Amino acid sequence: MSLSAARPLISIYNDKNEPLGTTVALPAVFKAPIRPDIVNFVHDNMAKNHRQPYSVNKDAGHQTSAESWGTGRAVARIPRVRGGGTHRSGQGAFGNMCRGGRMFAPTKPWRRWHRRININQKRYALVSAIAASGVPALVMSKGHLIQDIPELPLVVDDKVQEYSKTKQAVVFLRRIKAWADIQKVYKSRRFRAGKGKMRNRRRIQRRGPLVIYGQDQGLTKAFRNIPGVDLINVSKLNLLKLAPGGHVGRFVIWTQSAFSKLDELFGSWRKTSKLKKGYNLPMPKMANTDLTRLLKAEEIRSVLRAPIKQKRSVKKLNPLTNTRAMLRLNPYAAVLKRKAILTSLQSRRKRQELLAKKRGITLEPTAAEARARKLQEQRRAAIQKAKAEKAKKPKVEKEEKPTPGKEGKKAKTPAKGDKTPVKGAKAPGKGGKAPAKGGKAAAKEAKVLGKEAKAPAKEAKAPAKEAKAPAKEAKAPAKEAKAPAKEGKAPAEETKKVAEGSPKK
Amino acid sequence: MVDTQPKEKPAQKEKTPAKEKEEGKKEKKEKRRELGKKLPAVPESVLKSRKRRDLAKAARVNVALKKRTEYYKKRKEIFKRAEKYVKEYHSRERDEIRLARQARNRGNYYIPGEARLAFVIRIRGINQVAPKVRKVLQLFRLKQINNGVFIKLNKATINMLRICEPYVTWGYPNLKSVRELIYKRGFAKVRGQRIPITSNAIIEKKLSKCNIICIEDLIHEIFTVGDKFKYASNFLWPFKLNTPTGGWRKKTNHYVEGGDFGNREDKINELLRRMV
Repeated sequence: MSLSAARPLISIYNDKNEPLGTTVALPAVFKAPIRPDIVNFVHDNMAKNHRQPYSVNKDAGHQTSAESWGTGRAVARIPRVRGGGTHRSGQGAFGNMCRGGRMFAPTKPWRRWHRRININQKRYALVSAIAASGVPALVMSKGHLIQDIPELPLVVDDKVQEYSKTKQAVVFLRRIKAWADIQKVYKSRRFRAGKGKMRNRRRIQRRGPLVIYGQDQGLTKAFRNIPGVDLINVSKLNLLKLAPGGHVGRFVIWTQSAFSKLDELFGSWRKTSKLKKGYNLPMPKMANTDLTRLLKAEEIRSVLRAPIKQKRSVKKLNPLTNTRAMLRLNPYAAVLKRKAILTSLQSRRKRQELLAKKRGITLEPTAAEARARKLQEQRRAAIQKAKAEKAKKPKVEKEEKPTPGKEGKKAKTPAKGDKTPVKGAKAPGKGGKAPAKGGKAAAKEAKVLGKEAKAPAKEAKAPAKEAKAPAKEAKAPAKEAKAPAKEGKAPAEETKKVAEGSPKK
Repeated sequence: MVDTQPKEKPAQKEKTPAKEKEEGKKEKKEKRRELGKKLPAVPESVLKSRKRRDLAKAARVNVALKKRTEYYKKRKEIFKRAEKYVKEYHSRERDEIRLARQARNRGNYYIPGEARLAFVIRIRGINQVAPKVRKVLQLFRLKQINNGVFIKLNKATINMLRICEPYVTWGYPNLKSVRELIYKRGFAKVRGQRIPITSNAIIEKKLSKCNIICIEDLIHEIFTVGDKFKYASNFLWPFKLNTPTGGWRKKTNHYVEGGDFGNREDKINELLRRMV
């Protein structure tokens, strides 16, 4: 419960369960800290105060003149009853282990039966119990059936105090929907378990609602025969009734005059009580007990350090066998591995060539050699085609000339492929389409060349991918081969220049 | 059942109870009407957490970006260093050979420098060890059988090795041995814990002061016994090696007597191939 200074208004109900229209501000007692530990302690000690003493007879077990036979008689040394002629003679006496002997530590009536409790503690417990009776959750958890009552705390018109007939009281309880609680009492009527049955405590039942009144004008007589109902005057509040069993949260029905008197009885934190000399309500330890909101509050969060997350341990992989683990530790290892693979391939090739020479066989070209040859042929074809087209269209040539240097530069900066279409667009006519495509091709090339530029650092990703680098070179000319087929001559020239530049890299 | 929890009326302490009642009632009725019309609002806590999350995300993105750029810079640096070291090792090797050849050409003799790095392996167990030997083995961090450490060779350590000779075998590791040991069996001492060296960050965190930021740096420092050899080798947890496949010759004799303990100079590398 958050103990804000806000005191909501409680509406008062008449005996027909209609809100009268008048309201009372909630007395400060209901905002007091609820301390079940104090309530339990005080209840424990208070409950001891209505005990009746018990003890055994002080003579019990000593009404004999027994004396020990001593040793040498082949019997235990326990005092034995004197005389003869009866069963009793010679039997053990006095000891707690003997039949008919006195018990160990006979109970005495001057045992400390009652307990005194500090007044402030008693008041604290009382105040806590009253506060808890205003919390629906606590009352429900105590077991009272309060689902249908109009409001909690339930305050009723003073007319109830004038009831004289039990029938009236029953009707009233029914009307304010407290009857369910009393039905529960009826249902809980049973025999006590244990020896209490034969000690005049035969039957037990649940506790029902507690009616607290300001003035008894017949009310007690009306309600007292209803099982489970208890009645107290507000000036004589009893913790044993407000927190039966030491547990807070009894269902309480207040009358209006009783409810209004609470402020005088207990005061508020600002005003001392009028009826209890110098008494003030207890101060809570925490002003704001809403833990969820506290933990989300900025003021608290800003001061906390960051939570320490448990790092799961990483599995160790042997870098000498696992290439990924190796590259994580030593990126240069890729270069070494790649070199090793290449040199081994080369040396193998050399051996084969040597043997072939000796045997006089011509070897098949390696994949790389075959690709290189293809590349050359394609280039030758492209150049010838371009020459043929040059013979047809001299105009396009002139306008393409200013762009080559720029396009060449563009090719070197890979990420700026976007600009080339714009520059290409300057040329009109058929050149309009072609340069755009030239731009595209250049952009593609740019990307490819960009890739190649990064290759030394990134080729290493998979050492066996060394074939990709020449593959990329092959791709670029392949694209160029397509593009010149559609383009004008000059872009093809540029592409040729740029492509020649790339293998040099 | 009507809830009597306070409906946010904070500044009402001064008002008289009568006024309170009236105003309270009115406000309650108004609120009920309002609530009937409005759509359910997003709870404040949700809004708060959203805001907090967005701020945190923005901050995180910045930090992540910075970290990434730094990471790439470091990767470049590590690459360059590794390259440099490969060249250095190669040139060292060739230097030795070159000097020897030069000397031979002139009819002279080239005496290579004495070894500066040793790898020491404990080959005997825990029980019945003489106190002096026990202490020396403790100082070398050889607390278990088949534990190995890198040791810088100087007068002091050589004398220590002499004291514990029957309990250890040692020799001069070559580059391959050093690499294999550190890559395969390399564990770091981080906050008193034995942590596997799975990334350069572990090394950098501890040894950045010694200008060692990656595993290749570490290997270089160990192999070419540098200034910060002490820190580098102390950073490494003592190596836990397997018993050699193929077995020992005779642990109770010195290597020169046909056994295993003592200085076996270069032959330690063969042993390490079988133990790592």
